[in-house]
Amino acid sequence: MASSGKLFIDAFWKNNPILIQVLGVCSTLAVTNLLANTLFMCFGLIFTTGLSNLTISALRNHIPDRIRMIVQVLIISIYVMIVDIVIKAVSPDIHRFIGPYVGLIITNCIVMGRAEAFASQNKPFTSFLDGIAMGMGYSMILVLIALVREPLGFGTILGYKLPGLELWWHQWTIMVMAPGAFFMLALFTWFARAKMAAPEGATK
Amino acid sequence: MKKDSPVYIFLFITILSIVFGVAISLVHYLSLDKLKSNERMIRNRSISRAFNLHVEASNGEAFENAIRANIEKKELKSSSGTMQLFISKNQPREIGFVFTGIGFWDRISGILVLSDDLNEIKSIEFLDQKETPGLGARIEEEWFKEQFKSIPIDWSKPAASRIVFGQKTSNGKVINGITGATQTSSALQRILNSELERFIQTYKQ
Repeated sequence: MASSGKLFIDAFWKNNPILIQVLGVCSTLAVTNLLANTLFMCFGLIFTTGLSNLTISALRNHIPDRIRMIVQVLIISIYVMIVDIVIKAVSPDIHRFIGPYVGLIITNCIVMGRAEAFASQNKPFTSFLDGIAMGMGYSMILVLIALVREPLGFGTILGYKLPGLELWWHQWTIMVMAPGAFFMLALFTWFARAKMAAPEGATK
Repeated sequence: MKKDSPVYIFLFITILSIVFGVAISLVHYLSLDKLKSNERMIRNRSISRAFNLHVEASNGEAFENAIRANIEKKELKSSSGTMQLFISKNQPREIGFVFTGIGFWDRISGILVLSDDLNEIKSIEFLDQKETPGLGARIEEEWFKEQFKSIPIDWSKPAASRIVFGQKTSNGKVINGITGATQTSSALQRILNSELERFIQTYKQ
């Protein structure tokens, strides 16, 4: 299980899909102004990367090379459609807002990238773990950004008002809009890459 | 059979499509009732909000009961088609109608509520729209809908210029379009003006 642990550490830090691979940025900017929206999006992505990796890996010895990309997109889109239906049934209000982005999970580079680079060459269980880990690495950054944007933009966390709002809070509109996510993502990326580069620099 | 032979590829993709097609159909079928009830709830909630009805719970039944108690539904037929009307039973009476038209990407529909004398907009709510998220879709945001309250309608004006975004009305109010969503704003202005005309023609008949 040591390799499973390494998979997760890589996904969270060394090979984080957003901070290091710079994948899935579109939805990061779009859905992180409210934590509830972010959590549904994260659920969608973890579900899709995990199960599409599992399915593609299980079928990898049977998928003809010439049409492997088409097959991967077909499998990914089925899981995305399931996510879309589930969110629409469970929370129609959140679906009204994040619906278009849920559909775009099909084209999310993390899902396709892991299917092609990992699942098509590894065993099902390892591929499943890789998908879950990558989805969680993506989710961690989204949740962190949402945890900054929602309080500053709306003065709430998960819709609940923060204490003493009238004493300290003034709406920071840019945090509600996509540019707010640009700034937060840039700050997180800068921090992560600087932290990673530090030991390397020290040895020089 | 070789994996790269055309027959294998054809059979593989056919079987895969059938298996996954059946799976997704099953999921859709199982959630159909829930999806329909959600749609009904969102529609009833929009109608309740358009008429400013106070509803304690936020479930479909509560909204339906509030509408039944406070609003009379009517369908008006004319040469230009059928129009759905909602008339409040309480005083002062308000009259709402369902408008629909093509936005930038797809159909936009909603409810426009007018005062009893039809000379002022009371509120607007959207039932359905598929405009660009973050841009055109912002028509559903509160600040945008708020702008329509108390906008006077001058029926003597030409049909296309009764509601003009960015222009001061006789009581000094302005409806601003959405920056970066000019096409949606223009489409909405066009829809509202043409639907107001259709409404008044139908109502007169």
